[in-house]
Amino acid sequence: MKRRTLMSLMAGLSMSALLTAPALAADITVGMSWANYQEERWKIDESGLRAGLEEMGATLVTADAQSSNERQASDIDGLLARGVDALLIVAWDSEAVIPSVERALAEGIPVIAYERQIEYPGVFYVAFDPVEVGRIQARELVKVQPKGDYVIIKGSPTDQYAHYVLTGQKEIIDPLIDNGDIKIVGEQWTDGWVPDNAQKNMENILTAVNDKVDAVLASNDGTAGGVVAALSSVGLEGIPVSGQDGDIAALNRIALGSQTVTAWKDARELGRLGAKVAAALASGTAPEEIEGAVVWDKGPKGTAQNAAVLAPVTITRDNLDVVLDADWISKEDLCAGVTDNAPDACK
Amino acid sequence: MTTESLDPPAMNVAPRDSGFNVRTLSLVGLLFVIAVTFHLLSGGLFLTARNLYNIVVQTSVVAILACGMTIVIVTRNIDLSVGSVLGCVGMVIALLQIQIFPQEAAWNWPLTVVIGLALGALIGAWHGFWIAYLGVPSFVVTLGGLLIFRGAAFEVAQGKTLAPFDPIYRLFGGGIDGALGVGPSWMLFVVIMVLYGLGEILVHRRQTRLGFHSKARAKVLRFALVLVAAAAFVATMNSYLKPRSDIGRGVPIPALVLLSVVLFMEFVTRFTTFGRYIFAIGGNIDAARLNGIPTRRTVLVAFITMGVLCAIAAVVTTARLNAGTSSTGELLELSAIAAAVIGGASLSGGRGTIAGAVVGALIIQSLESGMVLIGASSSQRMVAIGLVLMAAVFADKYLSGEE
Repeated sequence: MKRRTLMSLMAGLSMSALLTAPALAADITVGMSWANYQEERWKIDESGLRAGLEEMGATLVTADAQSSNERQASDIDGLLARGVDALLIVAWDSEAVIPSVERALAEGIPVIAYERQIEYPGVFYVAFDPVEVGRIQARELVKVQPKGDYVIIKGSPTDQYAHYVLTGQKEIIDPLIDNGDIKIVGEQWTDGWVPDNAQKNMENILTAVNDKVDAVLASNDGTAGGVVAALSSVGLEGIPVSGQDGDIAALNRIALGSQTVTAWKDARELGRLGAKVAAALASGTAPEEIEGAVVWDKGPKGTAQNAAVLAPVTITRDNLDVVLDADWISKEDLCAGVTDNAPDACK
Repeated sequence: MTTESLDPPAMNVAPRDSGFNVRTLSLVGLLFVIAVTFHLLSGGLFLTARNLYNIVVQTSVVAILACGMTIVIVTRNIDLSVGSVLGCVGMVIALLQIQIFPQEAAWNWPLTVVIGLALGALIGAWHGFWIAYLGVPSFVVTLGGLLIFRGAAFEVAQGKTLAPFDPIYRLFGGGIDGALGVGPSWMLFVVIMVLYGLGEILVHRRQTRLGFHSKARAKVLRFALVLVAAAAFVATMNSYLKPRSDIGRGVPIPALVLLSVVLFMEFVTRFTTFGRYIFAIGGNIDAARLNGIPTRRTVLVAFITMGVLCAIAAVVTTARLNAGTSSTGELLELSAIAAAVIGGASLSGGRGTIAGAVVGALIIQSLESGMVLIGASSSQRMVAIGLVLMAAVFADKYLSGEE
């Protein structure tokens, strides 16, 4: 997955019952400590967060740590000094931020880890469900290719997110492996999520199995790009391939038929969810009583935390109109090079 | 070669052209051992036309970078920025070709390649200027470059992935149509061997005329070996068929790009004043300066060359992936340095060969591919490559009788 590189603005999608919160948050100030706001995607999150808070009459104050642990610590001190009623944090380093989190909790300020998990008791976690990303990928591939030889191109081995995605993929395919429908014929991590690495790994796997591959579980759209390039050089372009992020190039591949699915995450929806949770916690709602709250204990330390997770949207060639309607991608980019067998969105 | 009379001929021709290069040959031997080992371990998958074709294509990018890295290392410098520069130039080419210039224009892709090469040269000149004229150590300058140009690669399109490229441009990546085909591959083989043979004869005549003892028999033997190896290579590439057909692929275009780079760089390092200067500077920069060698300008040119090679590698990489991504080329600097060092480049300067660097790159890629074929994980691959890197340098020191 490519947390750093979500793109362009889009319109809100109403996709979750979580987001219909009662308005009870007047006179509340919510603080947000960004890790590195210069990256495109956080501007999208902020527009959702701000809109959500303003609708409830709450105020947002923000600080940007500019990719520095020290700066994030002083940002959080500053926000606490301004008297925020709830604190959202996108952690630059989810371990280094813990002393600041402890200070906030000691002052009785609710802390919400936004998108990046801070594994600490008492911290609320708000994110797109990374395990669901893996489930979506596997589910859609299994729909079109219920049996056969599968390859798994995993994400970066050093990124916890990649492990979550793999967990979701395994949930769906493990039973099918056990009953013999699906066989994993090759599986490799992709160092740094770099597409070129995924391409080389896929080429070598294809050599090892002499092109006998029926579907490829690629963990994000970048690695999917590498996989499709490898497949096309042996004339296998068109077998089922998964991805996530809704990259323009990937959506175009879905329209062209060389990729099956991408798990798309609308950052504005996450912003709105963050606003709702922050306002609720600030007005004294108990964490476990927040609408949609679940217990999340899938982190590396296994700490049980209250969390609200958002399901990503499954995008296949049958619902490409969703990304068009959201102004996520232009029809020109989506349908570039599409001629015969066009999906409905390109007609 | 206008400056021949200024230089003692012994400096350029005699020591390096007297038969076989033991160092390079021992590397080829190592490569052979690796290939046979993986062939046995993988149940006969490694030494197949298909796998060898893949390895050639996969090696080309690192090998192109390793050629430049070798001359940088020979001048007793280092370039840590090559992966980032490759990524940045690749993104600029992608942005221009896919979003800025009209897609259907015939001049689109050639112009983006030219702009990419110019940008590579400019970035190389920027590094070279800091190193040669401002006296900042190359480690620091190019470490800065590693960060700057990776950041720039992101900024070019705000981290978006750009695709697809022009179909003709994609041929540089050696995809399904990115090879010469059977007939042209054999023609290329004939042309190259004729030129090589003529070159050997000319060098032999000159050496004899200048009173050196030129080992004619060793040269004939070497020519014969190269002839057989090249013929085997072309035959192998031709025997890898396109899917669902009986059409042979032939020499992949990335390999052709690499071949051009290697021939050019071999020529530059062996037969030009610039080539002699870089070895002199690496050997002893003070002595070189006192002898009137323009050390600063030479280092600057070495880095400009490196920059241009990064741009060439960027073309091959982006064409191969058929997409520009901001992470393209991450960590490639390490592979390029490892290839140059395995190939015999000495980090203390003054020593290194282009052919060695290419074989070094082949060794790294063979390990990578071979270990995937036997199902090893990426962490196990890292361990293996690290060990081979150390062992190769140790063996090299031992063979060359250094302390």
